[in-house]
Amino acid sequence: MGCSLEKSAAEELVIDYVAQTLDPAASLEFERHLAWCERCRALVAQQRAVWSMLEEWQPQPVPATFNERVARDLVGEVRAAWWQRLHWNWRPALTVAAACVVVLGAFLLKEDDHSSASASEDRSSARIEQRVEHALDDMDLLTTIGVDVSAGQTDSPHKI
Amino acid sequence: MNSDGMHSPAAQPSWNPRVNTDKAADRVPDRDAEWMLRVRDGDDACFALLLERHRNAVIHFLYRMVLNQAVAEELAQEVFLRVYRFRGKYEPTAKFTTWLFRIATHLGLNWIRDGRHEKRHESLDVETDGAGKQIEDRSRTIEQELVYRTRLREVRQAIEMLPAKQRAAVMLHKYEELGYADIASVLRCSESAVKSLLFRAYESLRTRLAHMA
Repeated sequence: MGCSLEKSAAEELVIDYVAQTLDPAASLEFERHLAWCERCRALVAQQRAVWSMLEEWQPQPVPATFNERVARDLVGEVRAAWWQRLHWNWRPALTVAAACVVVLGAFLLKEDDHSSASASEDRSSARIEQRVEHALDDMDLLTTIGVDVSAGQTDSPHKI
Repeated sequence: MNSDGMHSPAAQPSWNPRVNTDKAADRVPDRDAEWMLRVRDGDDACFALLLERHRNAVIHFLYRMVLNQAVAEELAQEVFLRVYRFRGKYEPTAKFTTWLFRIATHLGLNWIRDGRHEKRHESLDVETDGAGKQIEDRSRTIEQELVYRTRLREVRQAIEMLPAKQRAAVMLHKYEELGYADIASVLRCSESAVKSLLFRAYESLRTRLAHMA
């Protein structure tokens, strides 16, 4: 007598039965089927053989240094994240600072026009240069403060 | 019921319940999720707990996927790095292990896809990979040991011949003891697709390993 189960249903039952993931009632029912179905019995035997061969295949133990390696990766990750954040924070800041320098320069030029028409062109341009220089110094200082601030953040990888 | 005590095919779904034996469930997923949420909130100590708890499973899974211990360890490092990197995006909508194995499977499948040629000759060299070394059992005679190693090599080769996704499905089913629904969630496909992958994979393995049974 041929097997009453469709191929895919039989496959699923065989796999679940060998993996012991069928509930007891379904398992008993399948065993009753196996008692007379040669095809499913052969399939179960083959699946069991594969199952036990796979069980023999055990991987190597995990090296003790693995956690340290992950921790080291994370330190790099956190550092990289900070550099990235710093980069992103300073991009708009630098743009704004550059715009400020331009505006400041324009303002000074205008101021000079109003206050003293007799002032020499050389003197006013020297003042502009000086102020631009100061502005750039301020930017440098801000950069330094920014680095210091980032170094003091709490997102430390050493906690791991 | 039909004459042999079995239900007819139409009635089959009702008599095919599975016992939920997911290893993931045994790992207390709620605690994993709770730890991961704490990692998300900045508690790095919980990350160390998750690492300690799941590193073996992840490395072993990846080893069986890529068949190379050094590569498996490198990929596992990347898995945990990504867990940390994506901590802010973690939502406990699925089991933590499903999320973890989704990352591991993604990396494993990508490695197989990208590095197939380089790794092929390397992975077939069982002895250099150390797989033979670690299972050495002094209670076996030399002859038994040789037989054992030959069997192991054949199992590895049969696994290696499986398409990558079938291989992943078998590893998750056999070694991680995930149910069809969880495997579907890891592989991002339907349960019926998972069953199809597993049926074909086990059928291939039965055929390829029949001579050793």
